[in-house]
Amino acid sequence: MNPQTPRPPDLPAPEPSPQVPPVAPPPQLPPEEPLPEKPDIKCLLEALLRRPQALVPRLVDGANGASKRFLLVAVVSFLLFGLVVGCFAKHEQLWAAPLKITAGMLFAGIICFPSLYIFSTLAGARVAISQLAACLAGALALAGLLLLGFAPAVWIFAESTDSLGFMGALTLGSWIIALVFALRFLKSVIFASGGTENGPLVIWSMIFLLVTLQMTTSLRPILGRSEAFLTSEKKFFLQHWGDSMGDNLPSQSAPAGTPR
Amino acid sequence: MHPSQLIHPEDGWLDEPDAARVMRVAFTALLGLGIYGFTVGYWRDPWMGVFVAMKLPMLVALTLLCNALLNGLLGLLLGSGLGFRQSFFALLSAFALAGLILGSLAPVTLLLAWNAPPPDSPYANSSHAAYMVGHTLLIGIAGIAANLHLHRLLLARAPGPGVATATLLAWLGGNGFLGAQFSWILRPFFGAPGLEVQFLRDNPLRGNFYQTVWRSIDHITGGFGVPALSLIVLVLMIPVARAIQSHQHHIPKP
Repeated sequence: MNPQTPRPPDLPAPEPSPQVPPVAPPPQLPPEEPLPEKPDIKCLLEALLRRPQALVPRLVDGANGASKRFLLVAVVSFLLFGLVVGCFAKHEQLWAAPLKITAGMLFAGIICFPSLYIFSTLAGARVAISQLAACLAGALALAGLLLLGFAPAVWIFAESTDSLGFMGALTLGSWIIALVFALRFLKSVIFASGGTENGPLVIWSMIFLLVTLQMTTSLRPILGRSEAFLTSEKKFFLQHWGDSMGDNLPSQSAPAGTPR
Repeated sequence: MHPSQLIHPEDGWLDEPDAARVMRVAFTALLGLGIYGFTVGYWRDPWMGVFVAMKLPMLVALTLLCNALLNGLLGLLLGSGLGFRQSFFALLSAFALAGLILGSLAPVTLLLAWNAPPPDSPYANSSHAAYMVGHTLLIGIAGIAANLHLHRLLLARAPGPGVATATLLAWLGGNGFLGAQFSWILRPFFGAPGLEVQFLRDNPLRGNFYQTVWRSIDHITGGFGVPALSLIVLVLMIPVARAIQSHQHHIPKP
């Protein structure tokens, strides 16, 4: 250090600027009561939305029926959302779309469940299979509830547009937002069960997302119309979306064509 | 209800909103938006004024009711500390404040309509354009004030500013997305000089706000719609990202 360099005078400790208002302390919330031993459906949904960590000890006990209740909420929500999606093409899609969306989601949940168990264990969680099944059912119920929240908006657009691309983007956007919250719930439960690693859960989340997106193509037509209930043509979902992005719903009098 | 109760709400404003308070706030929104709406449509025709006086509160009511479940769920999931009723009441209060601001400007906008060249004059088109820009500006100012108000309400309840901002942005996104489509369905509001005065256009549900905007952008840019839209989205995202970032910096460390 150069000895000629003048030493700066000691400055007093900076005081907080009078213009900057002090940050108010966060509001004190009253302590929350633990969930009852056998929570009813209202109690489960309230915990799902407000305090997912409180659900963890209740999900250990498979006899309290939480999984069944969550599954019921998920199925009813997916059926109702499917009905709204079916309002776009109407006709046979009024019953086919709810059926396909619900079956697709449940099928995706079932085929991804083994990998969820492995990846959550890799993440450090010490969780029983029945507990994890209840968590997955809870995540699907949460996604279903959020889809129900989007349902009025989706219906408005279903009645306003003929564009398959627009409706596809809207329903997929709704699904991705719902799924983000569902996966966040799953992560919070896994972390509350001892999980510490984020990486395995991120990988599993991507796998689950891809499976559900492929379901939209494998179970097509969901949005548009077709003479066939399902199609045997194999396609990757990106290819299918690219093919149908610019298409419109055929006029009501026209016969149903290629499955969309 | 005294306007200052709405502009400077007390600490417990969102706690247990009873039916009487909700009705008073809803009535304030109805009155403010109704009076202002009348002045919006009045330039085209007094009947248009009556129609818009009904449609502007309808636009808010439809948006709030259709998104009530979604707004409540987002409020809960983002940890704002607000339940369904409280989320609904917070948003209603914000719309009521916008109504109050716009209603207070109604005498000015009525004078503007009174003095603007009428729709059958040779200057009708430029007058219509200036009228639309003026009202868009006023609605924009009221909207900003209402959202700042909503953010203050959220800050009073949320555990941190980041949560309050995230909740506000989520609500803004959902309500803005659906509200734009409702404004399309409920058109006309300003009433183009060459078009018929109607409560709703023929087949109001046909067509889509976003597809119309997309076609306009694509047409204006000569087929370069995708890069132009990307640029618009980027420009809109910058202030949002900066707001989130600045709030993240202000979150007190535990």
